[in-house]
Amino acid sequence: MKVLVAAKRVVDPNVRVRVKADHSNVEIEHSKMSLNPFDENAIEEAVRLKEKGLVTEIVALSIGTIKSEETLRTALARGCDRAILVESNENYEPLNIAKIFAHIAKEEKPDLILLGKQAIDDDANQMAQMLAGKLNLPQVTCASSLDVNGNSIRVVREIDAGNETLEINLPAVISADLVLNEPRFIKLPQLMMAKKKPIEKKLAADLGLDLSAHSRLISVTDGEVKKQCKFLTNLNDVVNVIKANGV
Amino acid sequence: MKVLIIALARNNQINPNLANVLTAAHKISSVCDVLVLGAADLSKVTSYSGITSIYHAANLTSNDLLASNLTESLANIAKGYTHVLMASDSAGKDLLPRVAGFLDMGQISDVLAISSPNIFKKPMYAGNIIAEVESFDEIKFLTIRTICFDAVASSGNAAVVNKELLVDTDNKIQFVSEKLSVIETVGLASAKRIVSGGRSLGSKESFDEVIGGFAVKIGAAIGASKAAVEAGYANNDCQVGQTGKIVAPELYIAVGVSGAVQHIAGMKDSKKVLAINNDPNAQIFEYADYGYVGDLFEVIPEIMRGL
Ligand SMILES: Cc1cc2nc3c(=O)[nH]c(=O)nc-3n(C[C@H](O)[C@H](O)[C@H](O)COP(=O)(O)OP(=O)(O)OC[C@H]3O[C@@H](n4cnc5c(N)ncnc54)[C@H](O)[C@@H]3O)c2cc1C
Repeated sequence: MKVLVAAKRVVDPNVRVRVKADHSNVEIEHSKMSLNPFDENAIEEAVRLKEKGLVTEIVALSIGTIKSEETLRTALARGCDRAILVESNENYEPLNIAKIFAHIAKEEKPDLILLGKQAIDDDANQMAQMLAGKLNLPQVTCASSLDVNGNSIRVVREIDAGNETLEINLPAVISADLVLNEPRFIKLPQLMMAKKKPIEKKLAADLGLDLSAHSRLISVTDGEVKKQCKFLTNLNDVVNVIKANGV
Repeated sequence: MKVLIIALARNNQINPNLANVLTAAHKISSVCDVLVLGAADLSKVTSYSGITSIYHAANLTSNDLLASNLTESLANIAKGYTHVLMASDSAGKDLLPRVAGFLDMGQISDVLAISSPNIFKKPMYAGNIIAEVESFDEIKFLTIRTICFDAVASSGNAAVVNKELLVDTDNKIQFVSEKLSVIETVGLASAKRIVSGGRSLGSKESFDEVIGGFAVKIGAAIGASKAAVEAGYANNDCQVGQTGKIVAPELYIAVGVSGAVQHIAGMKDSKKVLAINNDPNAQIFEYADYGYVGDLFEVIPEIMRGL
């Protein structure tokens, strides 16, 4: 089984992003960047399946600026076999990312496409579904466990009210929840080895796709709402706060 | 302008957040149809104000209701509307982007506010940033963050029209089973009070005893931080935050939760927040109306005695 995984370059989850002075976008030029944590889960799962002998090859795909090469090196260090960078300076919306992904998937013909359920920058949670819709493949989103049986996978999907179990036939698209697994730490030898693995580069503009915008960002504002905390020192006052809520 | 809201039935029920999606829809147009998929008791739904027609495709199995199987028929129905809305819950997030992508259109997730029929506000970066975006698509596909819109009044009387929906089940995917959580956590998204516990509870037994006991005592739903869920103290569906549930109860009590941005993302719209933590510098206090510094294992039993 061949797996195509996503490796998006995003602002590190521990960085507090700021709004640019003109509110046109967020200020991220000098921020620490990381591999999207949800993609880490997707990659970890693919690597575990490879270690079990169920996967033969893992290809990582990133769409972004040339700096995404660094993100792909991390993906390779995590155990992907080779990587593809589709280069563009555009900040594409999920639909256009899905188009590029679909294009590469048609060339690579993976049995399974495994992606993070969302990226922690735009938090859209759309790409896997759009990709599956475009390729007319079955999808399971927010997967918390995968059990491969030949040509099908039994997937547990996290839902608001609990979870559901689905049986999906390959080829398929699955998006990973954070609870899918605990990604391993990578060590220096793996980072060194990753340097030798191949990264193929393509330009998004050369793919012959219509990547025109379906939306535009008008402005961004700070969404943080800090409060003035009233510290209580008497537990009776705490009890009264709760009682005031109608208890 | 013509809006369609899609709602999926689960266990014969329609999520009451449909009433909040309706309020969002009315900011776009007064023509607003609701399409209910799956067998469900519609007595509540028919009373919601401002519905033009309710279409009910009742004859659908759990298998039919999977996003992979519904896409094509819903894409055809969507073509009759300018806007297609779903609540931003697990069903909406799964289904709507797929239908939009199938039609080669974009989608806007977690709409918090509607500035005009084509301009919307949505969160980014765990809600630290609010973006205003304009959609150019012929049909706007929107998932609605329901805590940001009030529920419509219950003074309506819409008629239900039965609808046949041809679902294309080609056996590429099958529904096997579902496991629904115990009642107390189901209502997390709409609970009036929530008690949330963190890693500090130390074990599932303490979590159940301290957080569970406290929640039962004050009639609250149980929430948890990701650390508590990962440690196995609480179910995944209790998780509040960027990657869990987005809640806005009247009172949110955070017990031994540090207040990481990803947790704050899920509870910052709560009306009142009470934080209990033994570290006076815990970040959670910056997002709390009331704080108490102390050891939760001593404080919670003491509070319960006082109630
Ligand atoms: C991509 C991504 C997504 C994430 N999504 C989420 C999410 O959706 N929801 C979420 O919650 N987290 C999420 N996280 C994790 C988040 O960053 C934090 O790690 C997590 O919220 C911490 O949980 P906690 O507060 O229980 O634990 P800790 O940060 O360990 O805090 C424990 C707190 O308990 C206090 N404490 C300890 N003992 C006691 C005692 N006896 N009495 C009182 N107080 C005590 C401590 O002072 C501390 O403040 C995400 C992280 C990433 C990277």
